[in-house]
Amino acid sequence: MYVQIRNLTFNYKNSEEAILKDFNLSITKGEIISILGQSGSGKSTLLRLIAGLEKPNKGSIIIDKKIMADQNTFLFPEERGVGMVFQDYALFPHFNVEKNIKYGLHAFSNKEQSKRLKEVLELVNLTEFAKRYPHELSGGQQQRVALARALAPKPSVLLLDEPFSNLDAGLKTKIRGELGKIIRQSGITSIFVTHDLEDSETIADKVVSLDISSSISMKTGTR
Amino acid sequence: MKFLRVKHLNIWSVFSFLFVLGIILSNLLVFTSLLQPPSENWQHIKDYLLADYISNTLLLITFTGLFTFLIGTSLAWLISFYDFPLRNFYKWAFILPLAIPAYIGAYTYTGLLNYTGIIQSFLRNSFNFHVNPKLFDIMNIWGAVFIFTLFLLPYVYTIVSSFFQNQSASLFESARILGRKPLNILFTVLLPLARPAIIAGVSLVVLEVLNDYGLVQYFGIPTFSTAIFKSWFGMGDIDSAIRLAASLLIIVFFILALEKLLRGKRRVESSTAKIRSIPLHKLSGYKSMLAFTYSFFIFSLSFLIPLLQLFYWSLITYSNVLSNKFWQLLWNSIFVALVATCIIVFASVIIANFQRISGTKLSKTYSKITTFGYSIPGAVIAIGVMVLFINLDQKLFWFYKIVNPESAKLVLSMSIAMLIFAYVIRFLAIGFNSVQTGFEKVGKKFFEASRTLGMTTTKTFLRIDLPMLKPALVGGFVLVFVDVLKELPLTLILRPFNFDTLATKVYQYANDEMIPEAAVPSLIIIAVSLISIYFLNKITMKEER
Repeated sequence: MYVQIRNLTFNYKNSEEAILKDFNLSITKGEIISILGQSGSGKSTLLRLIAGLEKPNKGSIIIDKKIMADQNTFLFPEERGVGMVFQDYALFPHFNVEKNIKYGLHAFSNKEQSKRLKEVLELVNLTEFAKRYPHELSGGQQQRVALARALAPKPSVLLLDEPFSNLDAGLKTKIRGELGKIIRQSGITSIFVTHDLEDSETIADKVVSLDISSSISMKTGTR
Repeated sequence: MKFLRVKHLNIWSVFSFLFVLGIILSNLLVFTSLLQPPSENWQHIKDYLLADYISNTLLLITFTGLFTFLIGTSLAWLISFYDFPLRNFYKWAFILPLAIPAYIGAYTYTGLLNYTGIIQSFLRNSFNFHVNPKLFDIMNIWGAVFIFTLFLLPYVYTIVSSFFQNQSASLFESARILGRKPLNILFTVLLPLARPAIIAGVSLVVLEVLNDYGLVQYFGIPTFSTAIFKSWFGMGDIDSAIRLAASLLIIVFFILALEKLLRGKRRVESSTAKIRSIPLHKLSGYKSMLAFTYSFFIFSLSFLIPLLQLFYWSLITYSNVLSNKFWQLLWNSIFVALVATCIIVFASVIIANFQRISGTKLSKTYSKITTFGYSIPGAVIAIGVMVLFINLDQKLFWFYKIVNPESAKLVLSMSIAMLIFAYVIRFLAIGFNSVQTGFEKVGKKFFEASRTLGMTTTKTFLRIDLPMLKPALVGGFVLVFVDVLKELPLTLILRPFNFDTLATKVYQYANDEMIPEAAVPSLIIIAVSLISIYFLNKITMKEER
């Protein structure tokens, strides 16, 4: 198994009740998983735990045989090598597209940086927008920049938090199709959370349903 | 007249026009005298003194700006992103130095550090240790930078920390996921983003330094404000005073332009609709101790130590100071502050309402001019208002004679009306900003609903707008009141003979080598300011919710 999550338990400081309790999940390499759940079901929290933005109370997260978190280990987000597309995209407003993408490529040489920038821009089909600033882009374009920025450092896993919640209903179907294609094309292991069953079924190989008591039911998606 | 189009002619537009005219006239008059031939004194000032004024002024604003930037931003960063012992206390404690006007800070530190002050006496009496008095001498330009930095620090701290706290956590988190360490993120993301906020804070600091008279005068540093006072009171040379005021005004214009340029045109706003604030990182071990010690050090210097010293002096001197004369003084201060504040709130409501209803370019220009007054140093406004009132007296002399055949030539310019007028010009911006924010929050829909229900503008204003605006009016009132209460340079120049306020009395005691006696009036000014800070905090906290 490429990603292994075992007995993951977590509660926020200000609440008594665990938002995730003994959660288990295994993902094979290249698989696209969708986590489906209502708001408050802990699905975004799960992504934050995988990214290292929260520290679990109990349990372990292993990605590609590397321990991200268990009783003795806790890697900081910058040490994990995962990619994440935030719900609000979180593009740096004072950087243009190129600088946003290169921000995660600090370990690469200058030459490699330019090469990788070109690759991901082509992948998301935004080559001519490299010098634009985030506020000069449409919502769908901003999302693709966020995706390109997350993919650029070649992360082990891609995490997407409610990728379609900020888009108009009319655009959603089109963008959903495009995004699914890009992710599939890049071949990266992906986990995305959503509250929309249709989103899940269009893009994912496997849907994990997460209700409030965090018991899970798995079903294979339409693909 | 271009300013008054008949189309918009109503009570709102007429009053707005009159207030704006007052601001424009009192500033333009400063420039008109430049057209007349200069006096002999001016030649002397220009040849021998002007270079000093400029270099001292530039040194003061550069270094105070630099230090308030470094300390204010670092405090804002610590408070916004880290948790350490007493962090919640420091969060608002760093705002408190704002309650201590720089001149009071200067008198207090001088008294604290001089030969008879508590530190040198303690070392002498307890350890028989005689220090080199030069080491403790702060009455020079670096001492002035030290004092300005301590007490103007909150301007940078408050603006930058509220900016940091309004940033979405996902920006910081995505930078970490992209492989950057927190300190690296500070320099690559947070500071560049905060640039407009930092520049806004530092500009306020610089304008306050240019406005100051009490501190530079006491420390004997020749700057524009001290020079204006000297030509006016020392040499009776109004012409040179006006020329100096005009030169200072040019520096102010230059700074305002520089601010605009540095802030940049690009609107840096986050693309996010939902803002989740950045969670605090708990510091531990030596880092936590370091953060605590640094915070304690700054808080002690900028608030705790001066306050304790003032309390101590008050205990020794209050019986001498609290005489009948003192109550007269207190009454004077409250009276002028109340009258000026009422006029300012009234004018703010009128101009803001005019702008809201008409929404024309003209009304927007009015509001820009209104806010401009706060950027102009007190000494410059004082000169402008003085010239305006002397002119008015000359024009109205025929009228005075009708009323009273034995009338003196100068009536208005000898009266308290001139001082109050000057306060209105200088502090109108503060009242106006509060009222305008209030109007923006209320919006236009209630106004429109009321109009469709058959009410006139004025009736709507009284029955709908005014009650809804109450919190903004109270907020604006308190802020303006405190600013008038602690104002020094305007008051010193424009007050009628034998008219003292708390601020001028503090100034007088300090200059008569009676610093301990200045403690009681100083503490009253500080206490009233603290109340206003509390109010302001309450208002902003409500906004954040």
